Amino acid sequence: MNAAQAVFLVGFVLVLGAVGAFSVVVARSAARGGRAAGLGLRGGSTEHSRGGRAAFLTHRLTGFGIFAFLCLHIVDVGLYSVSRRLYDDVQPIYGSWPLRIFECGLLFAILFHTGNGLRLIAVDVARLSPRWTAGLLRAVVTVAAVGGVAGSALILSPLFG
Amino acid sequence: MSSPAPTTSVTRPAAWELPALVPDEDARTRRLVDYVLLRATGVVLSVLVLGHFAVTHFVTDVADDNSAFVARRLSSALWVTWDSAMLAAALAHGAIGVRLALADYASGRRRRVLHRTVVALTTVLFVLGAIAIARVAHV
Repeated sequence: MNAAQAVFLVGFVLVLGAVGAFSVVVARSAARGGRAAGLGLRGGSTEHSRGGRAAFLTHRLTGFGIFAFLCLHIVDVGLYSVSRRLYDDVQPIYGSWPLRIFECGLLFAILFHTGNGLRLIAVDVARLSPRWTAGLLRAVVTVAAVGGVAGSALILSPLFG
Repeated sequence: MSSPAPTTSVTRPAAWELPALVPDEDARTRRLVDYVLLRATGVVLSVLVLGHFAVTHFVTDVADDNSAFVARRLSSALWVTWDSAMLAAALAHGAIGVRLALADYASGRRRRVLHRTVVALTTVLFVLGAIAIARVAHV
């Protein structure tokens, strides 16, 4: 590992730490029965079922995680404009096994956050019934799981020759 | 002097008379703007981010995403547009989303400080990202 990758790793650990700290705050608030109000146009959250609440919390945590990584990612790709050499010093770390495993997690997070976000728009715009809302959530979880596993196989395959 | 007749017209109460939980008109407008922006950027990002991930992980393996790959990709106007739109949409979406979440966990001065930190951070990142795209693409 070179010096540039070591600096990247420090940033990466900070990202993981921020996600961990945020998770603790969210979990503690949820355990106290804290407000889980969505930003519904007609006020309040669109669903209060157990699945809806779990989806709300997962959406929030995946969203924060993706945003935290985005902050680091803009900086590491931005290194290209400092020098191509610096970018090429840091970039190979993305091909290492720990980062590949992280990328699998990132893929699951992006797939769920995307699917669930589109589901919430559909629920709001089309005023879907609770039955449709819950059915769509099952579809989102299924697509994220299947797509995540298939994508992870592709991401991890270079590690196995 | 006769006492003034009881008024029936509804006037907007002064800000300090509003209960804390009833948002005033400005707050409602901000809420609506946030609501629309969050969802509009979300729809755009569902294409841009998944496409970006697919190109950098599935079409090309992540081990081959070197500077030559970046230079080749950003020599096309499509990808310059793609990355610029993704940068702006992702940061706007993230800033609004995080600000919204923070409102559930912080209040008063602490919330204001956190909000300003998020806005400052995303602004700096946008400038950094925009400079990078412009320099790589030789715009």
